[in-house]
Amino acid sequence: MNKLPLTLLAVAFGSLLLSGCDKPAPAAHQPAQYNLVQLEDPNEDIKVYTIPQDTAILDEPNAEQIFYGKRLLNETKRLLPDHVGAAMNCNSCHIAQGKIPLGDPYINSYNFYPRVMPRAGKEVNLVQRINGCFQRSMNGKPLPPESEEMQAMIAYMKWLSQNVPKEQLVDIRNAGAVDESLVADPVRGEQIYYAQCATCHGDNGEGIKDSRGDIVFPPLWGDESFNIGAGLARTYKAASFVKYNMPMGIQVKGLWGHGNVLSDQDAVDVSEFFAHKPRPDFPGKVNDWPTMPKPKDARY
Amino acid sequence: MKKWLKFALIAGVGGLIAAFALGQLLPHLRTTSSGLSVDINDPALIKKGEYIARTADCVACHSTLGGEEYAGGLPMLTPLGAVYSTNITPDKETGIGNYSLDDFINATKHGVRKDGSALYPAMPYPSYQIMPDEDLAAMYAYFMSGVKPVRLENLPSELPPVFNWRWPLAYWQAIFAPEREFKPDSDDEVLNRGQYLVEGPGHCGSCHTERGIGFQEVSLTNAGSDRFLAGAIIDGWRAKSLRGEHRGLGLWGENELVEFFKTGRTDITAAFGAMAEVVEHSTQYWTDQDLHAMSAYLKTLSPAPGKEVTLPAREDTTTQKLLDGVYDSRGALLYVEYCTVCHRADGKGVPRIFPALDGNTAVFSDHADSVLQITMSGGRMPDTPHDRMAFSMPEFSMLSDADIAEVVNYVRNSWTNQASEITVDDVVKMRHFLSIKPRVGTDLPPEFITPPSQGGRNE
Repeated sequence: MNKLPLTLLAVAFGSLLLSGCDKPAPAAHQPAQYNLVQLEDPNEDIKVYTIPQDTAILDEPNAEQIFYGKRLLNETKRLLPDHVGAAMNCNSCHIAQGKIPLGDPYINSYNFYPRVMPRAGKEVNLVQRINGCFQRSMNGKPLPPESEEMQAMIAYMKWLSQNVPKEQLVDIRNAGAVDESLVADPVRGEQIYYAQCATCHGDNGEGIKDSRGDIVFPPLWGDESFNIGAGLARTYKAASFVKYNMPMGIQVKGLWGHGNVLSDQDAVDVSEFFAHKPRPDFPGKVNDWPTMPKPKDARY
Repeated sequence: MKKWLKFALIAGVGGLIAAFALGQLLPHLRTTSSGLSVDINDPALIKKGEYIARTADCVACHSTLGGEEYAGGLPMLTPLGAVYSTNITPDKETGIGNYSLDDFINATKHGVRKDGSALYPAMPYPSYQIMPDEDLAAMYAYFMSGVKPVRLENLPSELPPVFNWRWPLAYWQAIFAPEREFKPDSDDEVLNRGQYLVEGPGHCGSCHTERGIGFQEVSLTNAGSDRFLAGAIIDGWRAKSLRGEHRGLGLWGENELVEFFKTGRTDITAAFGAMAEVVEHSTQYWTDQDLHAMSAYLKTLSPAPGKEVTLPAREDTTTQKLLDGVYDSRGALLYVEYCTVCHRADGKGVPRIFPALDGNTAVFSDHADSVLQITMSGGRMPDTPHDRMAFSMPEFSMLSDADIAEVVNYVRNSWTNQASEITVDDVVKMRHFLSIKPRVGTDLPPEFITPPSQGGRNE
C-alpha cells in the first residue's frame, strides 16, 4: 500500500477542517480617543473626542482650505520661504500633523486661545501664537492675520478640534513631564547626542535635507536652526519634547514610532548639550516675561 | 463479511504494518559513519565551527525571543499546527550532550535523530546534506565546547495524528531528500564557493524556493530547475526571487548585495522581517570573501521562468502631485498623513535611515505579502556595528482593512513602481495570520543604550 495517497487524503481532510472556520469581517479604523473636560464645570456632559483621519476632510465644505493649511504646517519652509528663516517646518515639532498628545498637538489649539500667557504677560490669540512660532522656532517673519495662509492653518486646527464646544478641552497634555530639579550634564549629553541623535540631526547639528533641498530632519544648531527665543532653546522644555518624541522610527508603535527610550536625566543632558549650541538671536526677547521672573532655563 | 472485503482489510492492515516496519528501517539506511575523530577542545576547531554555525544560521531557529541561545522552542507554524525547534545545547538530558559526532552528522545532514527516527523537514537537512563531514566536525566541537548547556525540555509538536507520526517522514525523506553531493556549476572557484554557501549552509532555498505538494523545495539546485530561489511565501512574508529578473535581483549590483548582507541596509532598502533576522544572526558575521562569493553567484542566476525580465519604463508623476498638494485618491491622502514624513513625497525615503518605496523590489514584488505585513505589524532593520542606529517601522494596524489595502496599492503603483492590486480580503487574512504569529526579535524595537549617569539635582 502506497503511503502517498493516504498522506494526500489526510492533507485534504485537514484543509477541509480548517476552511470550515468563519471568515472574519474587515476591521474598521480604530482611531485614538480621549475624554473631554469642561473648563468651567468639570461635571457637565463629558463626551469623547476621536482623532479624525485626514480622509474626513473631504466631507468639509472648506476642504480645500483645510488641506492647504495642513500642507503649510507640513511644508512650511518650502511653501512660505519668505516667512521661515530656519530650516524648519511647523510639523518638525508638532509631530504627526499635531495629532499626538505630548507631541505638541494642535488638538486643543483652536479652543485654548485667546489666553493670558506667562511669557507674553498678556492675552495672546491663536494668530499671535502661530506668529510667535514663525518668529522664534522658525526664526522668520509673522504672517498677516487675515492672509489666506494664516486662515488656512487656523482652518486645519479648527477642523482638528472636531467641533468640541469652546468651553471644553480634550483631556490630553501637549508636553510630558520631566524632572526639572535634575542637574544637566552636557558632557554626557554630547555622548548621547552622537550615539542616538547625530545619525539624523548630523554630527554638526546640521540636519538632513532631501535631494530637492527640503527638510527631513531639522538642524539643531547653527544659522538654520531655531533662535534663542524658541521653547526648544530652553533645556527643560526641550527635554520634555525629546523624552516623549525622540528619536523617531525607534518604536514599533505610535505614528512616528517615536520616543520613550530616554530617562529624564538622558533627556535633560542631551537637551542641555544641543540647546546651548550657537544659534540665531531673537530681537524680541526684551519683551518676554514682563510681569514675572523668567524661568531658570531661559536663554536671556 | 464478504470474502473480498475481508481480504482487502487484511491486505490493508498488513500493508500498513509493512509500511510501518519499512518506515522504521528507512532512516537507518540514511545514516553514515564519518570515520572522523574530533578534538572538541581544540580552540581553532571550535572557532571554525562557530563560523560555520553562523553561515548555517542555526541560532535563528533554535532560540526564542528572550530565551537562551540554541535552547530551542521556537514554533514553526504549519497549516496543521506548530512544530517546535529543539534544544541543541550540549545539555546531556534535554539537549544534544550525548550525541556522538556521527549522531550529530546524521541529524544535521541526513535528518535522522540519535534514536533513529526521522526529523521534520522544518530542519533544512536537505540543504545541509552537501556540507563536508569535516565542517560538521568543527561545528560539533563548537556545540559541545563553545555553547553553554541549557536544561530545557523539548516541546512536542502540535500536529494532529498521522502528521505527528515520525515513520511516514522516512518516506518523505526517501522521496524528497535523497542523498546528494555538492556539484559545482562552473570552474570558477569564487562562484563555486558562493553556490555552495547558497545551496548548503546558507539554506537560502528554505525561504526563497517555492515548495511543492509534499512541502519539499521544488529544487535544491539551480541545475535542477530555474524555479530554484524564484521566490516564495513564508511566515506571511514574500521571500523575494533571487534570480535575474526585474522584480528579483535584476536591478541589484554585486556590491549592493554585499552591503545588504553585511549591514542589513543599502541606500534604497533595508532588510526587514525574516531577512532582518538572517542578517542579524548570520550574514553580518560572514567574511567579505564569502559575502562576495555568495553575491557573485546569485548574480549568475537567470531570470525566473514566466516572470517579466524587465518592466516597461514608467514616468514618475506621483512626486509632483504630492508636492503640489494634488491628493487625487484615498491612497494619496493616507500616504500623506501616515507615510510621507519618513518615506517622503518622492518615495525615496532617507538613505540608510528610512527605506525607499520607489524602486524598491520588495515593494513592487508580484506578491504584496511583505508590504502588507510590515505595514500592519511594523518591525525593525537589523542592528549591526556598521551603523550607529537601527530604525523601526511602526505598525499601522489601527487603520481600517479597507484603508490598508488602499495605501498598500498606492505605494505599489506610485512613482515608477508597478505591481498587482490587493483586495480588502488579503488584508483580513493577514490580520488574522498576524494574530497567531509568534513575535521575533526584529518585531521589537532595537536596543537603546545610554552611557551611565552620575545624576544630581539642583534646588
